[in-house]
Amino acid sequence: MTAPLFEVRGLTKRFRGLTAVSDVTFRVAPREIVGLIGPNGAGKTTIISLISGTLVPTAGEIVFEGRHIERLPAYRRARLGIGRTFQVMKPFPGLSVLENVTVGALFGTGGGERNRKRADEKAREWLRFTGLERRMDQRADALGGPDRKRLEFAKALAMNPKLLLLDEVMAGLNHVEVDEVVELIKKMRDKGVTILVIEHVMKAIRRLADRLLVLHHGQQIAEGRTDEVLRDPRVVDAYLGKRRQ
Amino acid sequence: MNRFRWLALPVAAAALAAVPWVTSDTIVQYGINALLVATLAQSWNIIGGFSGYPSFGNSVFYGLGTYGTAIAMAQLHWSFGSGLVFGAVLGVACALLFGIPILRLRGPYFAIATLGLAAVMSAIIATVEIAGKNIGLILPLFRGDTLFYELSLILLVAATATVAWIARSRFGVGLVAIREDEDAAQVMGINTTMYKVAALTVAAFFSALAGGIHAYWITFIDPASAFDPSLNVRMVIMTLFGGPGTVLGPVLGAFVLSAVSEVLASQATGVASLFYGIVIVAAVVFMPKGLLDVVQGFRESRWRYFTDNIRRYRL
Amino acid sequence: MQLFGQILVNGILLGGLYGLMGLGMGLVWGVLKIVNLAHGALIMLGGYALYFLYTKAGVDPFLGLPLAMLAMFVLGYLLQILLLNLIVRSAQLNTLLLTFGLDVVFVYLAQLLFTADFRTINPPYAGKNISLFGVTVPYAQLGAFGVAVLLAALLYLVLDRTRTGRAIRATAQNLVAARLYGVNPKRIYAITFGTGAALAGAAGGLYGIVSQITPYIGVTLTAKSFVIAILGGLDKPLGVIGGGLVLGIAEAMAALYLDPTYTDIISFGLLVLVLVARPAQLLGRA
Repeated sequence: MTAPLFEVRGLTKRFRGLTAVSDVTFRVAPREIVGLIGPNGAGKTTIISLISGTLVPTAGEIVFEGRHIERLPAYRRARLGIGRTFQVMKPFPGLSVLENVTVGALFGTGGGERNRKRADEKAREWLRFTGLERRMDQRADALGGPDRKRLEFAKALAMNPKLLLLDEVMAGLNHVEVDEVVELIKKMRDKGVTILVIEHVMKAIRRLADRLLVLHHGQQIAEGRTDEVLRDPRVVDAYLGKRRQ
Repeated sequence: MNRFRWLALPVAAAALAAVPWVTSDTIVQYGINALLVATLAQSWNIIGGFSGYPSFGNSVFYGLGTYGTAIAMAQLHWSFGSGLVFGAVLGVACALLFGIPILRLRGPYFAIATLGLAAVMSAIIATVEIAGKNIGLILPLFRGDTLFYELSLILLVAATATVAWIARSRFGVGLVAIREDEDAAQVMGINTTMYKVAALTVAAFFSALAGGIHAYWITFIDPASAFDPSLNVRMVIMTLFGGPGTVLGPVLGAFVLSAVSEVLASQATGVASLFYGIVIVAAVVFMPKGLLDVVQGFRESRWRYFTDNIRRYRL
Repeated sequence: MQLFGQILVNGILLGGLYGLMGLGMGLVWGVLKIVNLAHGALIMLGGYALYFLYTKAGVDPFLGLPLAMLAMFVLGYLLQILLLNLIVRSAQLNTLLLTFGLDVVFVYLAQLLFTADFRTINPPYAGKNISLFGVTVPYAQLGAFGVAVLLAALLYLVLDRTRTGRAIRATAQNLVAARLYGVNPKRIYAITFGTGAALAGAAGGLYGIVSQITPYIGVTLTAKSFVIAILGGLDKPLGVIGGGLVLGIAEAMAALYLDPTYTDIISFGLLVLVLVARPAQLLGRA
């Protein structure tokens, strides 16, 4: 077993009176795609926020590439190579699509590109990769739903992340669009990116995830290979409902 | 067409530089005031326009620059140059010291914290012995408005050049990202605290120098005039009017509004503030993105530009 | 020791009035998310309203207060409907700027119409006082304190028990949901701002009784109202009165033990301290 890219030990987050995440432990190997599933409110986005640095853990450790990061501010984690998308998308509204992605290229892993021109070129490449080329000069807040998701992707990718945290990127997409996004994610893994995906769309998770982590009420109720976890009765009970015959 | 546009700026600067030799003394004096307040607007632009942190207390840096220069020259008998440096040091130190805690606040909290900071500093200076307490200080006299005019022009050009550099640099992109969505900016790798403090410090630097020049020019300063609260209104509204986050917007706004207010002031006293008040209200309602955006938007949608703004933001 | 007690009582009485000032600002801010930089000007206008009611119409100040409050309510209502509602959904900076502009206009108009002369509202009982445990308590100050506390209690009851009050609280928490329940946001917004203005007007009137009015009193009072509102948790009336008491007592103590010129430093220093020291709480509300 190769050294994990990152691991999480005993991760806990309490808000006043509410325990959102309780004692979660898992590890992710380089170039793995790990799916994070569970009912709404299970704490999945909280875990992503804890890893990306938007939230500070109440207890527990997060180790990335051998280094403890649980006390590091979000921007330092981004420079180490952690990128994320937001479930409620957060583009820079007044900026153009190209400028949005350029930010990622300028400030990502390792501090990003120093040269504005080169960052610009890289941003264009990522826009081509995600199919947003035609919309390059439009204002970010003028984009429709699926395009906004693509923009979230492109911004995160432009950072050249080692670890990509995706939060429900398939929500609201039709079958064709879901397939496109699945292909995109696979291409990213081929490029060497490790991915942690929160998803409700089971078809996508089955095709993408090597392993799954299942959360329920902030606690981890299952973890392991995708096909095994999906057959686990506790998971079926908590989340999947009756199996279709 | 683009080539000519780049020529226009140096030509304009040269024309402005020639003013003292072709016009009357009153115009030169008006010019000095306009240039200095344009510098203040341009400084505010960095922290308010680009970074989206609307300070209502940048007058504190101007005031510290004023007092730094005055104390250096009147009490310590230093030269003007050293006085300016001292004033700038005070302004920058204030930005660094108070910037870090205050910049953690968002939106209106930040705005009022800066208001409070300016008021506290003004009240504190009024109790300090070496600053002449409430009575103020008198600087050595220097006759020659032309020197002050050219210095003010150089300062404005320097401030504008700095803003132009910021607009194209990685630093500037970071500031704008902070303005558009600070959480997303952090998660993308921008050290937002450091960037904000840097922006405030640059703004403080130029504001303090403006204060220093002004102090030596008018020779007499006291807490009320040095920390003049109306400066805050003016620098904010001039930038807003001209176009926040642009390079020339604040300069344009400053020149236009100074000119109009000057004309009005000659008609009736105090009307200038009424004018500013009404302009602010109208500008916020009809053209929240500033004059430069009006010019562009007007080309596209004519008079509907103004009603569109209302339609977009009304309850 | 007696002097300490006197100062303490002075501070408490002043604090009640301060609390009333914070009430209006906190309400508008908590519900409408508008930081009203013209709040001090509204206080000032309310003061003048009561002053002229007393000097021109001979109405006893404490009886005339509801009239002054009504006038200010109407003013606030109109301001919201005609101006503020137009920009409510744009960046918060714009509401700051708009109210700043209004403040400038109001001060100029007051200067023009009322001149810069100091005005006081001096009903015949103004000079009298009662003596409690060796502490002198002027009638006017006591009355002002009583009215302030009464209005705070009334506001609390209105917000808590009446339909309009519930609509206001619902709008504060979730505008979209409130709409779905049949709340008319334009009206509620206007009523809220009007109430804020009425409370400011009341504070101004009382201020005119215990102190002096000029067109310029609003500037410092806005900043103080801000501190008080924050200390008290914005739209929690009882908390805001508490915040007012804190500031009132702090100022009174500062005037006693330090130079009176330090009172400004105290108020604004407290402002900056509060903002810097409690960011977590504020960020939660913002």
